[in-house]
Amino acid sequence: MSEEPRRALRGISGALGLALVSSLLAGCGSGDGAEPVRFTFSKREAIPYMTQVVADYNASQDDVRVELDTSGVDVVSASFVRGNPPDLMLANYNMEVARFVDRCTLSDLGDTAAAARIRPDLQPLMDQYGTCDGRTSALPYSVMAASVIYDKAVFAEHDLEVPQTWSELLEVADTLEAAGVTPFYGTFKDDWTVAQGWFDYAVGGQVDTLDFFHRLDAEGADVGPRSDVSFEKDFSRPLEQMTQLAQYTNDDAASRGYGDGNLAFAQGQAAMYLQGPWAFSEIAKTAPDLDLGTFPLPMTEDPADLKVRVNVDLAAIVPEGSRHQEAARDFLEYLYRPEIIEAYNESQLGYTPTTDAPPPSDPRLAGMTEYYDEGRVYQGASVLVPKTIPVMAYTQGIAFGADVDATMRTLDTDWARLARRQ
Amino acid sequence: MSLLTTTAVPAPAAARPAPRGTRRTEPIYYLFLLPSLVLFTLAIPVPAIVGIFFSFTNSVGIGDWDFVGLTNYAVAFTDPAILRSYLFTFGFSLVTVVLVNVVAFLLAVGLTSRIRLKVGLRAVFVIPMVVSGIIIAYVFNFLFSNSLPAAGQAVGIPFLETSLLANPDLAWLAIVVVTAWQAVPGTLLIYIAGLLAIPGDVYEAAEIDGATRSQRLARITLPLMAGYVVINVILGFKNFLNAYDIIVGLTNGGPGTATRSIAMTIITGFNGGDYAYQMANATIFFVVTVLIAFLQLSVTRGRNSL
Repeated sequence: MSEEPRRALRGISGALGLALVSSLLAGCGSGDGAEPVRFTFSKREAIPYMTQVVADYNASQDDVRVELDTSGVDVVSASFVRGNPPDLMLANYNMEVARFVDRCTLSDLGDTAAAARIRPDLQPLMDQYGTCDGRTSALPYSVMAASVIYDKAVFAEHDLEVPQTWSELLEVADTLEAAGVTPFYGTFKDDWTVAQGWFDYAVGGQVDTLDFFHRLDAEGADVGPRSDVSFEKDFSRPLEQMTQLAQYTNDDAASRGYGDGNLAFAQGQAAMYLQGPWAFSEIAKTAPDLDLGTFPLPMTEDPADLKVRVNVDLAAIVPEGSRHQEAARDFLEYLYRPEIIEAYNESQLGYTPTTDAPPPSDPRLAGMTEYYDEGRVYQGASVLVPKTIPVMAYTQGIAFGADVDATMRTLDTDWARLARRQ
Repeated sequence: MSLLTTTAVPAPAAARPAPRGTRRTEPIYYLFLLPSLVLFTLAIPVPAIVGIFFSFTNSVGIGDWDFVGLTNYAVAFTDPAILRSYLFTFGFSLVTVVLVNVVAFLLAVGLTSRIRLKVGLRAVFVIPMVVSGIIIAYVFNFLFSNSLPAAGQAVGIPFLETSLLANPDLAWLAIVVVTAWQAVPGTLLIYIAGLLAIPGDVYEAAEIDGATRSQRLARITLPLMAGYVVINVILGFKNFLNAYDIIVGLTNGGPGTATRSIAMTIITGFNGGDYAYQMANATIFFVVTVLIAFLQLSVTRGRNSL
């Protein structure tokens, strides 16, 4: 009676054990002897391009076999936690990656040929997301520049020039409004659009963000009403200007999101739109022939202060936990070949971060190229605040009418609390 | 697997030795328990213990970490963002649980009385329960952002012309309405079952004694339904404390941080690199909900016998 279940038990456990072992073995066997490299890349618009690059590379040699993994950021983060990171990543460079940099979990790429070709003035921007002593933890691959997008036809119709100063900007807005044209299209329902466009452009147009965050880091837990540098002291003025500009938006800005904004702007419902180049392809879905241009948002009376917002849209990273360091580096060098990196950036409207590369030829970006070439760029303040502080939500609150000074004081105390804790 | 079977199976048997082999438990029963036990342990207690452990460290989820004692807890108790999320979540849960139970009770009374199309109407009212929360939230998001303002403009009600979701003081109301819309059916079903279980002769007797319709509701239906009300309130409150998907779809915690629930705050620890700190928050939340559960149980133990 009791013998039968026991035998069944043994049978089941044996079968399960066998299944487990065989699945483990299957994981080890790679077959043809080429070294496998797991390469993660999840920028959706460019996956077809990257798939082609990987296929070409695999066909060109027999030693390394690259496998493209497009499963996304969260999966990659989790794989680090499990101690099984990808061999090579091409990923958005942001505060999320910063913790990998700060904890020295990324290998040094300083000795690669690609590293020698990177524009040196981009390094301070990379360092804003943390550093690991003596290491080049990541190499920029694609830099996106963002500023005001404007409808050239509307500007021409009302005889308007691209504004170079704050008062010229207000003049342009007043003229448009008087003519019954909405000057700016606001999409405040999506908090990131407020942070990326309104907040970052307003701050970056007059505050030296590089210097500001250096000093803020130095203050650490002391940031507050008595510190030399604080969000309240340095950001209140630009944000007051931002709220002033926000008056010039469509009446329903508070209930419009990014998708609504792209559609409305494509339909000519406003003259200016505070978005990045990623919006071009969305707008083109509705209005492929719209003649658009870009210009940095003027926040002061001095045209020399004009700058464009940039972000390192993609950076190349080889985690230290990878067991295929050499193979990963070989493919990395391949990715940085001029014809590949330049074609990539040309197709994605990005700027190539190597010293000898030409700017993207798209005329819609022409208004920003001179600033990028001269290094008159800044990284958005909203992405330089650690993600645990809900800065995007705060900026949305300001767009909805929350008090600027009070919000900035909240940001100060959040910053100090975080510094005390970490 | 073989390791698990050899260690896990004999252990319970050894803990309770069978008296002289006469009433020896069939080992196959333990085998039935095993899959659930393993899955449950791996999916709930183990991660919970790991999380509680890390709440005493400064881990960001990867790399080296050190013990920091109770620092995370000390900071969490004074963090206005966390305190505000507790205030919002409890206020929201209280209002929603009252609204849901009042609406569901009245609907249940209506749907169990002698009316036309009773069965069809019941089916209609239960539909929201089978649609996933995030889809409901996106549909209502569209209604609040586009349809309602358009309607407000057409009829000339200025209050409706701007989206409810964009109003920091009123956005929580929208969340209450949508959450209630989804939660009413489940509550309704329990109330209908309860009402159908009340024997008809009680009402007949009351009618003969001359009780009016409202007297019958207050003196017979309500007391006999007390147990069901308690169940619905407890289950509802517990669910609303975990509010997440509907808020994400409606306001994503906005405008500003006006509608951030506790669960949303905890989640930021994962993508914001603040793992240990939010684990401390999650541990506090766990203790709070356990306390509430005990409180409700002890209160209702007496009430159930009504």
